[in-house]
Amino acid sequence: MGSSLPPKEANLFKLIAKSYETKQYKKGLKAADQILKKFPEHGETLAMKGLTLNCMDSKAEAYELVRKGLKNDLKSHVCWHVYGLLYRSDREYREAIKCYRNALRIDPENIQILRDLSLLQAQMRDLGGYVETCRTLLTLKPNHRNYWIAFAIAHHLNKEPSKAVDILIAYEGTLEEDYPPDNERYEHSEMLLYKISLLEEAGDLEKALEELNNKLVKIVDKLGAKEIQASLLLKLHRYKEAEKSYVNLLEINSENHRYHEGLKKSLGISVENGTEGVDTVTKLTDLYSDLQRKYPKSVAMKRIPLDFLEIGSFRSAVDEYMRPLLRKGVPSLFSDLKSLYSQPGKAHVLEEILLGYESSLRMNGSFPGSTEQEPPSTLLWTLFLLGQHFDRRHAFDKALQKINEAILHTPTVIDLYLMKGRIFKHAGDALAAAALADEARSMDLADRFLNSECVKRMLQADQVEQAEKTASLFTKDGDQHNNLYDMQCMWYELASGDSYYRQGLLGKALKKYLAVEKHYADMVEDQFDFHTYCIRKMTLRAYVHMLRFQDHLHSHRFFHQAAISAIRCYLRLFDSPPKSAAEEEEAAMRGMAPAEKKKLRQKQRKEAARAKKQEAEEKLKEEEAAFSSSNKGGKKGSQPPKTADTDPDGEKLLQVEDPLGEATKYLKLLQDHSSEVLETHLLAFEIYMRKKKYLLALQALKRQLKLGLESPDVHRCIIRFFNDVDNLPPPSTDSGKLVNSVIELERSCFKSIESKTLLQANESFLNMNKDSLRHRAAAAEVLFLLAPEQKSTAVEILESSVCSHSAGGGEIAEGVPSWGLKDCCLVYDIFSNTLKDLDAASRWKSRCADLFPFSTFFNGVKSSATCGSENYTYCRKMQASQPPGPLAANGHLPDFSALKIIS
Amino acid sequence: MVCIRQATVDDLLAMQTCNLMCLPENYQMKYYFYHILSWPQLLYVAEDYNKKIVGYVLAKMEEDSSECHGHITSLAVLRTHRKLGLATKLMNAAQRAMEEVFGAEYVSLHVRKSNRAAFHLYTETLGYKIHDVEAKYYADGEDAFDMRKQLKKKFTEGKSHPTKTSLENAESSSSPDTNVKDGDKKKVSTQKGEKLDT
Repeated sequence: MGSSLPPKEANLFKLIAKSYETKQYKKGLKAADQILKKFPEHGETLAMKGLTLNCMDSKAEAYELVRKGLKNDLKSHVCWHVYGLLYRSDREYREAIKCYRNALRIDPENIQILRDLSLLQAQMRDLGGYVETCRTLLTLKPNHRNYWIAFAIAHHLNKEPSKAVDILIAYEGTLEEDYPPDNERYEHSEMLLYKISLLEEAGDLEKALEELNNKLVKIVDKLGAKEIQASLLLKLHRYKEAEKSYVNLLEINSENHRYHEGLKKSLGISVENGTEGVDTVTKLTDLYSDLQRKYPKSVAMKRIPLDFLEIGSFRSAVDEYMRPLLRKGVPSLFSDLKSLYSQPGKAHVLEEILLGYESSLRMNGSFPGSTEQEPPSTLLWTLFLLGQHFDRRHAFDKALQKINEAILHTPTVIDLYLMKGRIFKHAGDALAAAALADEARSMDLADRFLNSECVKRMLQADQVEQAEKTASLFTKDGDQHNNLYDMQCMWYELASGDSYYRQGLLGKALKKYLAVEKHYADMVEDQFDFHTYCIRKMTLRAYVHMLRFQDHLHSHRFFHQAAISAIRCYLRLFDSPPKSAAEEEEAAMRGMAPAEKKKLRQKQRKEAARAKKQEAEEKLKEEEAAFSSSNKGGKKGSQPPKTADTDPDGEKLLQVEDPLGEATKYLKLLQDHSSEVLETHLLAFEIYMRKKKYLLALQALKRQLKLGLESPDVHRCIIRFFNDVDNLPPPSTDSGKLVNSVIELERSCFKSIESKTLLQANESFLNMNKDSLRHRAAAAEVLFLLAPEQKSTAVEILESSVCSHSAGGGEIAEGVPSWGLKDCCLVYDIFSNTLKDLDAASRWKSRCADLFPFSTFFNGVKSSATCGSENYTYCRKMQASQPPGPLAANGHLPDFSALKIIS
Repeated sequence: MVCIRQATVDDLLAMQTCNLMCLPENYQMKYYFYHILSWPQLLYVAEDYNKKIVGYVLAKMEEDSSECHGHITSLAVLRTHRKLGLATKLMNAAQRAMEEVFGAEYVSLHVRKSNRAAFHLYTETLGYKIHDVEAKYYADGEDAFDMRKQLKKKFTEGKSHPTKTSLENAESSSSPDTNVKDGDKKKVSTQKGEKLDT
């Protein structure tokens, strides 16, 4: 390094490199300038100066200097390495890899560059390359533990687990017999467990178990070892021993459901979602009555049987299960029982038992058939549970009645208000739900959970500003309005984006959705530092697990929701683009005299110049500020100063040039990571149809068909597709003809339109699904699309729909309308926006208002949208008693504890 | 009814969500990665019957101090899932692992002076004692109790197994920058009121 320089300058050059490593950038810069005074064209110095400036936030200058340095000294591995580091700092890993490769061509055995390259290869999953780089490193430094481990990891990731095992065995061969010393026990133990997991992955279960048993003394993670042992025994069909192991594990933690699963499997009891035969049920019943005796305190032992018991024995078991929990007042009891509602008859049994409790507690103060007096709170929690029960069965009136009785019984229990709010939400009154949640929040201002719940409800009621204010009670961070973005609070961003979307504020909505996307990009980035860290720490099982997690990170639900919603925004932007600045200007200038126009243009030019100058000045200031702060930062690493968000409302996002192009970016991620979700292919269809990419749209259709043969949305897409394609002008190009012939060939895949006209296909779709409102809605919409003149028939299809009422045997309570509120809103939307029949829309509205009396959308009589209703009065009162006002930070709010708003 | 088990990397996002719902002290994902990739045995979750994460404990080892000990970084249980003793079960599981896997002598934690419910849980149920008071420990200026619980009798010499990596060498860097502003400072947190009065 710096070889071509005289000794004094060569020393200075070393100083630059050292200063860079110790983050003393100013010092490095000074040294560089000293060299450059004498040798202004010295390539490596120029490059290092650039790299230093890069850390001081002078990006543009950094690139310029590094490129100049490289040009002056193309044969220097330092220059190439520096160029690579520069790209790496900007997350341009592909470019960085190229630079490192060039550097290695000049200096093939440079350990530092090889290491840097290997990290990028791991990050980019260039697994073949990673294996090779690790091989070179190990060959150069065979005494170094980390290179052995990295070499094994590389093979493992490259799907060669048995080679990885061989490498670890060879590595172990280099160790002394009495290894490890005391201070290495954890690391060695993790290495052994990693090796065992590799053996298992390679399919050699016997060997894995053998290795585990042989090395047991050296493994410090005793619990981990027992879990692996049990699972290996099970996989090896050594059931007796597996059973023993699982019983042993239950001894340690009887609440771990995975141990329960293991035990059942080792006893040969297969449990597949509630379809057990009589035999299995008997076996399970015996097993659990035995376990209950052994572990009288375990809740799991009592809860699990409720899943498999048949109605008769279920009744007495659930009765026995609920009593102590109601006595204790466990608020999560309902959520614990929720999954039982989908099993036929169990909801009904629960209702009978609970109503029995209520009347007995009211009459005698005890549970039925018992003489033991219950504390008054037992009735309270019974009412609470009944409220949730009726809510689950969509009997909202009854649910509210129970909750109100509970509140009357003990007005200070916050959970009751939370629950009441939830009932309103389910019944269709988001405003009342938000008001209730706010009341709950006011009862304990130091509880963030209540605050979060309230914020969520406010967003659902489209009270975004109020929600933001409320959230900031806990999230104010110094000068920052809130730290929700910094802390990656994605549920908030999604809920807030959804609200903006509903209100048609697409810029603000996109801003929130893209924030979520950014968090995921950051998480991908997060792994970088761990490639070296974990190999040193030897937490190899967790490390590999993390890499695999990263590989399917974008299938996580928050990302999925954000991507879907962002695509919807872009589709809407494409369909009705916002007016651009130029267009607006043109509209303004229309009708102006030429002289006036000229004046205006001149004025605009002047303004633009001024703005540009100001921007440049501000940038300069920013750079200065960055400089001074990185000076102060010292060794601890100066964080780049936060640049202010220049587009807080997403106005710039609205001006996107190619909305479909942006949408396609997110679609690709969905296609790669959420291909099993119908929504992905519905959106793909929408994008490709707008792009007129018919073959890709066809591909999306075929994927839809696989996932949702019966779905009304798929029906809509199929008909739209063939209707559009059939109405295209005949193709003039060869490729156009080819596309058409492919579509013709594929037409036969779509059975629903086979040997029928599209109208006929729609009719038979309607006949096959005439009892479903959602399907009728699709049929009506499609009819109107194909034959606008048959609008009245389309209206008739919707209006003649009949809403049945539940008989009460299943999940839904007796007499509850079978239509969903959401579907009814959708139909209303079709009346008013697609068919544009306002009379029909208003008839529909009043019909739905009867079905959903709490719905604000339909102005139900009991909803807060109807003047004079109870909810109306309540919401007005709550609103009057707000606002949160200026507040102390971080939820510590002693001054506000007096501010209670309890009616 | 609620499953208590060791957390895996797949649980981290749900843990972060749970933390953001309940507690004022929050962390970026990288900090959760840092924990699970340093001490994978010390993270536990409470998972309800519908597979939702309703509570967690995030713990670590303090490896630089003379006495090897564990530290509770963060503990939370959703308000909707109180009164099940989940916090106790999570804490016991983490403490057990600290002792068994890492040979911890004691475990420490910080708690807001005003958080009586959590304080009660630590002193009455879990056996912690006040070791010190840290003035203005929290971002809002509140003091913290520095609490400790002894895990075992001190080992006789030579039997303990501290956990420092000795292969620290020229090319190993320090632990990954976790990007949490004074990550080690303001992290404590415990959910309010495991013992809720009705």
